[in-house]
Amino acid sequence: MMEAASAHATNVLRRKRRGTPWLDSMVAPALGVLAIVVGYPIVYTLVLSAHDYDLAGTEAPRYIGVANYHKLVEDPTFWKALVNSGIYAFGSVAVAALIGLALALLTEDLVGRKGRIARMLLLAPWAVPFVVTAFLFRYMYLQNGGAINAALIETGLIRAPIPWLNSAYLAMPAVMVANVWAMAPFFFLLLSAALAGIPNEVIESARVDRASRFDLVVRIKLPFLRNALLIGSLLMIIANFNDFAKIWAMTQGGPGYSTTTLVIYVYRQAFEKFAFGYASAIGVVWLVLLLGFAMAYLRALRAN
Amino acid sequence: MPTRADDVRADRRKAESTRRAARAFQAVVLLLALAWSLAPIYWMVATSFKTELEAARLVPTLWPHDATIDNYLGLWTGSLPFPSFFLSSLTTCLATAVVSVLIATPAGYALSRTQFRLRTSVGYAILVFRMLPLVVLLAPLYLLLLHARLLDTHAGLVVGFTTFGLPFAVWMMKSFIDAVPIEIEEAARVDGYSRLQILLRIVGPLILPGLLTTATFVFMEAWNNLIFPLTFVTTLEKQTLPAALVLSFTGQFKTDWGGMMAAATVTTVPLMIAFFAVQRSMVRGLTSGAVAGA
Repeated sequence: MMEAASAHATNVLRRKRRGTPWLDSMVAPALGVLAIVVGYPIVYTLVLSAHDYDLAGTEAPRYIGVANYHKLVEDPTFWKALVNSGIYAFGSVAVAALIGLALALLTEDLVGRKGRIARMLLLAPWAVPFVVTAFLFRYMYLQNGGAINAALIETGLIRAPIPWLNSAYLAMPAVMVANVWAMAPFFFLLLSAALAGIPNEVIESARVDRASRFDLVVRIKLPFLRNALLIGSLLMIIANFNDFAKIWAMTQGGPGYSTTTLVIYVYRQAFEKFAFGYASAIGVVWLVLLLGFAMAYLRALRAN
Repeated sequence: MPTRADDVRADRRKAESTRRAARAFQAVVLLLALAWSLAPIYWMVATSFKTELEAARLVPTLWPHDATIDNYLGLWTGSLPFPSFFLSSLTTCLATAVVSVLIATPAGYALSRTQFRLRTSVGYAILVFRMLPLVVLLAPLYLLLLHARLLDTHAGLVVGFTTFGLPFAVWMMKSFIDAVPIEIEEAARVDGYSRLQILLRIVGPLILPGLLTTATFVFMEAWNNLIFPLTFVTTLEKQTLPAALVLSFTGQFKTDWGGMMAAATVTTVPLMIAFFAVQRSMVRGLTSGAVAGA
């Protein structure tokens, strides 16, 4: 095929614009691998979701139509997990984006060596593996001997230690704080880059008009950051819906179901109860939700 | 009676003092921000040098009073094979990076250079694959690996990691190749280079930095992954570091936070190195597709 193609060497430019089979074929290996490791599992998930399949049992998968979906609608834990996923993803992303924005504005005019070092240090949490973040915060959240309780008692803010991760009310916010810690550097870096991309003339002309500092940020800079914020947020919302490591290593979804998100619930259904069929049905619903987000993301890209 | 000049001078003095206040405010907030970012990391490293007793104190010590490296030595000699966890992580993540980049680069090249009919849809499909919840793939992938007899092998783990490594690498390589002007290739063609020569001698060296960056990103994502090793690997010796941390917490380190934090530090170091090596391309990496997809 290579020789046949090189015979048309002189036409290469025009041929490229029209499409050349040899070039197209370079996508084939990637598509082939993805078809096996991603495409096939998706189709298989769809099929499994219509079956009663208990991996631990000896029976073969039994076709049960939409029964799994029926069960799902009436399963309060599924709804609880869905709501938890939403709180975890949207809440963490909103706070992390705000912190990232504040940091980006704060360090905007820092130049030279000091500025570089400060920026690097602010990015450091990003380089900590999720599981490590989880155990690190778990240690700091300890009711007895945890750094956070000790610091709060020492400064007189609280009298008795708070059982952060053992409280059904506090566990979710506590896990989200760890998540925000890990995620804020992403928004910091993204928004710093976007800030640096604002044309100088825009800032200058605002200065000439004697715009106040506040006006400069709210009226001039924020509109320029809109796209970066939107794209970054959508990406992170998707990533957080899929977050397993942090929650699993900190609370395993507990206490009770207070930090059970969809990921945790699917994992428990599939690998603790071995209810592959039911887990797959949840997966399918989730896939549909996710496609909605992916569409929003792609639209945001195209509008950019 | 104040003159105009006095007014101006007063104005200037006022502006000067506001500026100074703003600077001081900035410095204070920056210090707080640095403390928020670094305190947990400091706490991890400090605790890793504390004895089990000191790490469990009710009122924690700010720094190790009785500093010891026993926690790190314990990783070698303890009941859990941490050296082999480390090696497992290293081999599977490196293999994933190499495999992903090898398969992704031709695909990225094709997506960048052709305008074939399916280009946009293939590109978007790959992008959506990147966002798929891994846990949804988990059950079918488990069965797939089971039937392929790849369960509980490092090869099987690499297959799992590829599900997110490959789509990511395709998009990132495409964005790097987009940055290479096509005119360079046309000039080489006029000079009589063959298609393969152009790819290897002209385009290759130009995208090498991008290739290394992409590989590092894939490596980092794989290093972070917990759910695949936890489900696909059952033999303890073959386990990766993140999964080992979770497993060891229920065993060896149940009350030994010093040991736990030493293991955590060891898990963090390779990711730190990789992170600061590619920090400059970080934004591009995580939003790649953002730039290239438009």
